[in-house]
Parts: sequence; C-alpha cells; structure tokens
Amino acid sequence: MSPRSRQWLAPALVVVGAALVCAGSAWGLFKAPPEVFMGEVQRIMYVHVPTAWNAMLALSFAFGCALAFLLTGDWKWDNRLEAALEMGVVLSLLLCMQGAIWAKPTWGVWWDWDPRLTTTAVRVLAVGAIPALRAFGEVPGRRAVWSAVACVIAFADVPIVYFSVKWWNSLHQAQSTPETVSSAFHWPLRINAFGILFLWTGLVALRARLSALRLREETAPPPPAEAAAATPAQGAW
Amino acid sequence: MSGVIQGGEEFVIAAYAVTAAVLSAYAASIYFRLRAEKRRASREEGR
Amino acid sequence: MSGLVIALRKDLLLQWRGRLQIVAVFAFGAAALLLFSFAVGPDSLALRQHAAGFLWLALLLASTLSLAESFEHELEDRAIEGLLLLPAGPRALYYGKAIANWTQLALLGVALVPVMVVLYDAGTTRLLPLLGIILLGTAGLSAPGTLYAAMTAQARARQALLPLLLFPLVVPVLLAAVKATSLVILGDPMGQLRPWTTLLGLFCVVHVSLCGLLFGRVVEDG
Repeated sequence: MSPRSRQWLAPALVVVGAALVCAGSAWGLFKAPPEVFMGEVQRIMYVHVPTAWNAMLALSFAFGCALAFLLTGDWKWDNRLEAALEMGVVLSLLLCMQGAIWAKPTWGVWWDWDPRLTTTAVRVLAVGAIPALRAFGEVPGRRAVWSAVACVIAFADVPIVYFSVKWWNSLHQAQSTPETVSSAFHWPLRINAFGILFLWTGLVALRARLSALRLREETAPPPPAEAAAATPAQGAW
Repeated sequence: MSGVIQGGEEFVIAAYAVTAAVLSAYAASIYFRLRAEKRRASREEGR
Repeated sequence: MSGLVIALRKDLLLQWRGRLQIVAVFAFGAAALLLFSFAVGPDSLALRQHAAGFLWLALLLASTLSLAESFEHELEDRAIEGLLLLPAGPRALYYGKAIANWTQLALLGVALVPVMVVLYDAGTTRLLPLLGIILLGTAGLSAPGTLYAAMTAQARARQALLPLLLFPLVVPVLLAAVKATSLVILGDPMGQLRPWTTLLGLFCVVHVSLCGLLFGRVVEDG
C-alpha cells in the first residue's frame, strides 16, 4: 500500500488526465481545421492515435509487471498486473471501437482487417482471457504465477501475430490506416496523449489498491472464533 | 483515394462519445469498487 | 536428456493405452469437416478454395479435446507432485508431454487429410510439403497448448478456459498453416510457400523455448 502521504496522487492523476483529454478533444473537435483529403473524419485521429499509444504502453507495463513478479515474487507486482491487464483490455477494446467508427465512413466497411487493428483485436482476446484464468485460481500464489506466465507468452506472441496478419492481408489491401498527421495538428494529439497517459496511470494505481485490499482479505487469517473449528486449506492440485 | 470524404460528422461525434463513455464508465467502476472494498475492509478491522 | 526420454516414453505409453479416445477425437474432427461443408453449401468450387481453412479449423477444435485430456493422468492422486520430485525436472516433463501431444495432433492431421480430399475435392500430389506443414502447424499448436493444458487441468471450467487462452495465441499458426496448405493444394505459381513455413517455424521456435522455460513455474507449488 502506498504511504498515507501519497494517497492523493492517483486520484489527482485521474482528474488532471481527464481535464487534459477534455481540452485536447475540444481543440481537435472545434479548433483544428479539417484535413485536405479526409475532411472531418480526420478528427477521429486525435483520440484514436493517443489511445493506440496508451494501449500499447499499458500492456507493455503489464508485461513489465509480469516479469517483475516472476523475478521478485513481490505481491505488489501481481496487484499492478491485475490492474494493468484490466486497463489494457479497456483501452484496446476502445481502440477497436474507434477503429471501426473510423473505418465505416472511410472504407465503407466496419472492419477492414488492418494489421494493427486486427492484432489489437487478437490482443484483446489473448489478454482478456487472463482475468478469466484468474477467476478460477483459488490459490493466490499459483494464480499470480499463472497470470504472469500467460501475460509473458501473450506479449511475446504480439509481434508474430502482427506480422502474420500483415502478410496475410497484404494481398488484399493496399491501404493501411494512415496515422500521419500533419504538423499543424500536433497539439490536440499531444494533449490527448498525455491526458490519457495520466488517466490510465492514475486508474491503474487505484485499481492496484483494490487488488491489494482484496488480496489482504483473501490471505488474512480467519477470525479467532472460526480458527479453532477450521481445517487447514487443501492445495488445489 | 481521390476526393474529399464528405460529411462523416456523426462518426466523429460517435468516436469521441464512445471514448468519453468507456473511459468514464471504467473510472466510475473503479471508484465504486474501491469504495465498497474500503468499507468492507474497515468493517473487518472494526470487528 | 535421459529424463526427457523417460518422460516421453511415459507419455507415449499413456497415449497408446488411451488410443480409443484418439479415435473419438478423429471422429470429432471428421464430423467437423462435414459440418463445415453444410455451413458453406454444396458449391464444390468454394469448398475446394477453402478446404485448407476447414482442415485447420477442424484440427484446432479437435486439439482442444486432446490437449485438455493430456494432463488427466497427472491429476489423479496428485501424481504431478511425485513426478516433479524425480531428478528429470519439470522441463523434461514439459517436453515429453509436448512431443507426445504433437505426435497425437500430427497423426490426427494426417488422418483428416483423406477426409478433406474426399469431401472438398482438395487432393494434391505434393504430399511431402503437406506433411511438413502439418508437422509444423501441429507443433505450433502443441507447444503453448501443453503449457495451458497444465494450467487449466485443475480449473473448474477447464473445457472453456483452454480454448479461450489458446486460440488468440495460435492465430499466427492458423493463418500461416491455412495459407501454406492452400498453396500446396491449389497451386503456388509465385512460390509463396517459403515465407509461411518460415513463419510457422519461427512461431514453433519461440514458443517451444519460451513455454519450456516457463513450465517449471506453472507446475511448482504455491
């Protein structure tokens, strides 16, 4: 648990992040001029690109936590892993939704098997399965190791998935999602990027606290009245 | 791709709305879950 | 090395003893191939075009059955703990089990090829490349599959959990194996087979080493 003095940091990050996202989005929606070829639809990039960066960051952080837990066995990394996984799934799902909303007016279809978005969809499934795995793990130690191992393997798989989808699709698709934004429009992008960064960092910290509280409850010794009657817990294997 | 994409404003609004909705809903869910867990934890300690 | 041989012997023996179950899994795969054709309709041209996809989908679905059962014996009387006490080490345990699973899946794949040929008119004379693809693809399924089978073996909802974890991971195997098999069956005028088999090989190398490394952590106590 973070010390009393730093309890305010996470909520502050969330508030500041939210404010930045509002500001950046307002700028992108109202102040920035429409782009030459893509017209109004380009504005979606001001949230889509920052979401993409941050989804990648959040899942990379999850991978870091998984490694850290496997190497140190310190429970705070498992708490953070649980939080980061949830955040990563939320951001990746959001990314897929934004991508579909962007694709419809641009290509006429909701989904065009773009390698980046398809890899994101696969990542959502791969990473989203880990909380399901956790739900069935009764022994905290084993559950934590399994989540970390599954996270490491999922992360190692991502580049392979990306390249295979890219080759698979290259015969059918000449275009890819253009993420180039001309320099005049950088500000909304940067503001949103930092906004979402602060937002997810704060949310992960708060979510990790939730995990820590739940873990404490799970591993707490039973109250004295029940301890006398209780039998020692059996291992799951 | 030649020509300018006409219109599409409703998609832009949709994208921003979805983003706002998902992020606020998730933030709210963390807030409520954390509050419930803290209450339960302080009740346990009170016992 | 001798630990690996012993583990492999044990697992192959277990599979031989349970060969009736393998027949059942084959029947499942063949039924799946039939059902896919119902889903697409009797258009033989379309069926032939997509035969490779159907074969690998059927193999993937069947693999969830055979993989899920692969640690069944180790669960009885907590035999896994006894096995871990042996000097062979968890890595030998993993590779023995993974190779045995690979053998079973490869046999399954080979057995399903005639079914595919008959149902979809998808024959080919290039049998050796086809065998190679089946070997590579099933190795790619078996490597992470064995690891996740060990994880989910004791979970209450293991039937649903194993595919949930495994399927997203083996997307590259599915894409590459289907593409490669398609090229073998339908013809490969531009010589595109190499990149796909290389991708399969790369996937296998990465996962065989990574999963072997991590297996010990998965089965250790607490």
